[in-house]
Amino acid sequence: MDPAATGVTVAGTGADPAKTTMFPEEFLKRTFSLINSDKDRNSVSLVCKDWYNVERMSRRHVSIRNCYSVSPEIVTARFPAIRSVTLKGKPRFSDFNLVPDDWGADVQPWLNVFATAYPFLEELRLKRMAVSDESLEFLALNFDDFKALSMLSCEGFSTLGLEAIATHCKNLTELDIQENGIDDLGGDWLSYFPENLTSLEVLNFSTLTSEVSFDALESLVSRCKSLRVLKVNRKINLEQLGKLLVLAPQLIELGTGTFLEELVSGSVNGLENAFSKCGNLVTLSSFWDATLLHLPVVYPVCGNLTFLNLSYANIGPDELEQILGRSKRLVRLWVVDTVGDKGLEAVGSHCPLLEELRVFPVDPFDQQLGVTDSGLVAVSKGCPKLHYILYFCQRMTNAAVITVAQNCPNFTHFRLCIMNPSEPDYLTNEPMDEAFGAIVKTCTKLERLSVSGLLTDLAFEYIGKYAKNLETLSVAFAGDSDLGMEYVMRGCPKLKRVEIRDCPFGDSALLSGLTQYESMRSLWMSDCNVTMDGCKKLAEEMSRLNVEVIKDEGGDDRLANKVYVYRTVAGPRKDAPPFVVTL
Amino acid sequence: MDVTLGLLDHIPAGDDGGGGGGGGGVPSGGSTTNRSILTVSKEDNKNTMVMSSEVTSGESLDGLELGLGLSIGGGGGGGGGLKSKMVANGGGGGWSQYARILTAKDFHTSLVSKPNSCSSSSSVNIPNSSTSGTKRTATDSVSPPNGTSVVGWPPVSKAHRMPTLANQIKSATENFVSKPEQNKSKNQTIGIKDYSDERNGLSNKKYRSVKVNMDGTLIGRKVDLNAHTSYEMLAQTLHEMFFSRWSSTEAVKPSRLLDGTSEFVLTYEDKDGDCMLVGDVPWEMFLSSVKRLRIMKNSDSNELAPRFQETNDSV
Repeated sequence: MDPAATGVTVAGTGADPAKTTMFPEEFLKRTFSLINSDKDRNSVSLVCKDWYNVERMSRRHVSIRNCYSVSPEIVTARFPAIRSVTLKGKPRFSDFNLVPDDWGADVQPWLNVFATAYPFLEELRLKRMAVSDESLEFLALNFDDFKALSMLSCEGFSTLGLEAIATHCKNLTELDIQENGIDDLGGDWLSYFPENLTSLEVLNFSTLTSEVSFDALESLVSRCKSLRVLKVNRKINLEQLGKLLVLAPQLIELGTGTFLEELVSGSVNGLENAFSKCGNLVTLSSFWDATLLHLPVVYPVCGNLTFLNLSYANIGPDELEQILGRSKRLVRLWVVDTVGDKGLEAVGSHCPLLEELRVFPVDPFDQQLGVTDSGLVAVSKGCPKLHYILYFCQRMTNAAVITVAQNCPNFTHFRLCIMNPSEPDYLTNEPMDEAFGAIVKTCTKLERLSVSGLLTDLAFEYIGKYAKNLETLSVAFAGDSDLGMEYVMRGCPKLKRVEIRDCPFGDSALLSGLTQYESMRSLWMSDCNVTMDGCKKLAEEMSRLNVEVIKDEGGDDRLANKVYVYRTVAGPRKDAPPFVVTL
Repeated sequence: MDVTLGLLDHIPAGDDGGGGGGGGGVPSGGSTTNRSILTVSKEDNKNTMVMSSEVTSGESLDGLELGLGLSIGGGGGGGGGLKSKMVANGGGGGWSQYARILTAKDFHTSLVSKPNSCSSSSSVNIPNSSTSGTKRTATDSVSPPNGTSVVGWPPVSKAHRMPTLANQIKSATENFVSKPEQNKSKNQTIGIKDYSDERNGLSNKKYRSVKVNMDGTLIGRKVDLNAHTSYEMLAQTLHEMFFSRWSSTEAVKPSRLLDGTSEFVLTYEDKDGDCMLVGDVPWEMFLSSVKRLRIMKNSDSNELAPRFQETNDSV
C-alpha cells in the first residue's frame, strides 16, 4: 500500500494525525479488501483504531492455529464477517501417539458459535481436531452456503458423517479428507451426493479404506465439470481410473488408486491415452502397489509434473529413474526409502529444479539400510534449489551434512530423522553436533529444524547462536543438560513452536524461556526432567499462558511427564479431561 | 476347560473357583500373606472368573509369579518385569505399594489405573531415567524382535506407516454387517441424528470396531468386535494382526494370548476407563463394556484395575 495514498503518516514526519481519519471508511474498506494475507492484515490492524475497525469488519478469513489460544466468542466478536476458518487443535506430537485420546480440540463448540455468528460460513479447514459425525451433520445442516471442508489428521468421525455432508451441502466445492482417524464403516456415502450437485472442484478420499460405489463416483466426476483435484482410494483400480480420466481431462491434481491388477494390453493403451489427454495435470500421488508393469501409463504426463508423491509406492531405484528421467520439471518429490541411495542419485541427476524432497521409511522398525548419508549428498549436489528436506535414515555422518549445507545454503526446512535414538556419526562415532551446526550457520533462512542422532549441548549452542530465523524446532533424545534448551530459548527470537521429547531438560530449562512463551504458539515437553513445581512456577509468573500437564498412569506425582504450554486469551480450558491439569 | 492364570503354585483360592461368579472377588480377610490364583473356567462359552490376589512386600520378587492377568510370567520374567517405570523412583522398596493391589482395606484406595491408562500409549518399556538424567538410547529399552519400542518413534505419521498394513487391517475389519437402515434416508432434513445409537447400539449391533494397541508397536489397529463371537476368535484375529510376522521367531499362538502363557496380556479399557483383563466376563458383557483393547507386555500387568464380581457392581 502506498503510504502517501492512504494518508498514513510515517512516525516522525510531523503530519497531522487527524488527517488519517479523514479518509472515508469506504475507501479503507475497498483497499483492505484487496489484502488477503493474514500477516498483512494483522499489521494493518495495528496502525490505529479506525484501521483496526475497518480491517476487522472486512476480514473474510481467519486462521486459528491453536484452538485453545482464543475462544470462539472472542473471534466472532472481533470479526463479524468471516467466511472461511482454519482451525488447528492438538499438539503435533499427537500424530505419534504421545497425546492421549479424548484430549480435546473438539470442533463442536466452535460450530455452535459459528452457527449464529457466521451463518454464511463457506470454508472450514481443520487440522488435528476432534470431529464427530454429529458435528459433521451439524455443519451440513446449519450453514446453507457451505462450500469447502478440509480435514487433515482429524479423528472421531466416520463415513456416516460424510454422508451428511454429501447429502446436505448443496453448494459443495471441496471435500478433502487426509490422514484422518476415520471409522470407515464402508457404505455408500459417495452415493449421497444428489444428482443435481455439479459444483465439486476438489474431492480427496484417498485415505478411506472401503469401497465406494464406482457408478456414483463416475456419475459425480462426469457432471462436475469444474473438478480439478481428484484423489481416489486404493479400491479404485487402473481400469476404473482410466474411465474417470476420460471424463475429467481437465484435472490438475490426481491421486491414483491401486496399480495391482493386470490390465489387458488394450486397456493399457486406453489408459495411456487417457493420461495423455490430461494436459493440465501437475500433481500425481498415491501409486499404491505400483510396479514397472503399469507405471508407464503415467509417462505421458510426467513432463508437466511439478509434484510427484510416491510415498505410498514401495518402488526401487530403477522404477524411480524411469519416472524421473521423464519428469524434468519436478519441484516437489516424496518417495519411500526403498528407492535407496541409488534412487536418490537419480534424483540428483534428473531434477535440477527440485525444491522439496521427503524420504519416508518403508518400515520404521526395520534395521535394513534404506537411504544413507551418500543419498542425501547426491541429492544436494544435483539440486541446488533444494530448500525443504525431510529425511528418514538409519545412519548419517557429520561430513555429509556439512557438504549438504554447502551445496544447498537455502534451506528453510531441514528435518533429519536418524531413526535410532542418539545415534552418533557412524564413521567417527562422534556426536552429530557439527552437522546441525553447519546447517544453522550456513542456512540463514532456516525456519524449521528437526534434529536427531547423538547430540550434546554444543548442538543447541550452535542453534541458539545462529538460527535467528528459526520458528519451529523438534528435538528428541538429545542434549546433556538444561543448558541445551537454555541456549535455544535465549538465542532464537522468532521461535513459534518448540516440541521436545526424552531430553534431560528440567525446570531451569523450562523457566529460561519465560520471556519467550508469550510470543510463541506453544511448547511441548514430554519425558524430560520437568517437575510439577517447575510448571507451577511458570504458571505463576506468566498468567497469560496455559501450563498444562498431562498425567500419565502411575509414575511420580512430582514429575510433570508431559507438559504443554501455550499462550491464550481464553483462560484455562473449560473442557479439559481429568488427566489434563492446568496449573 | 480350566485355564489357570496368575500364580503358578496352584494354591487353591479358597474361594469358589468354578461357580458362576459366586464368591467374593477379594479375600475378605485382607491378610497380606494370602496368595491366591486366578482361574478362568470356560463352560459353554460362559466365562467366569474369580480373581483375588495380592502379594506381600515381604515376598521376594523372584519367587513370586504375580499374575493379575491372563498372563503367566515365567518366573524371572514376572519378577523382573514388575520393576516397571512405576517403580523407578522408589527403587526396590517402592514396589510394595504397587504389589499390594487387592487387600480389602485397600479397596477404596485401590490402584485403579488412571482413566487413560489404556488409552494412552505412553512408553512402557523405557525405564524412567528422568531422575538420573541419562539419555535414553534404544539399547536401554526392551525391544521387540525388530527394533526400538519407543512410543511415537520414529515420528512417522499415520499416513506413512507401512502401506501393506492396510491389507492386514482389511481382513479383520471388513466382516461387518451392513449398517442400520432405519435412520438412513436420503435428503432427510430433520434434526441431528443421534449417531451414538448407530455406532454403539447394543441391540443394533452392526459394525462395532474398537482400537487395538500393542505395547511396543507404533501402529494401532481396529478390529470389528461384531465379527467375532467369542474370545477365541478375537484372539485369532489379533494374532493375525500383530503376531503373524513373528510366527517364525516366536511361538505365539492365538490361544496363548488368552491363557496367559505368552509374554503378552490382552487387556481392555471399559466404559469406566478401567483397564481390565480380557476373558473375565461373558462375551456379551465384554462387548457392552469394552471401549478399546490393548495388548500389554506381561511385565505391565500389575497396572491393572482390581477385579471384582460383576454382580456387586454395575459394569
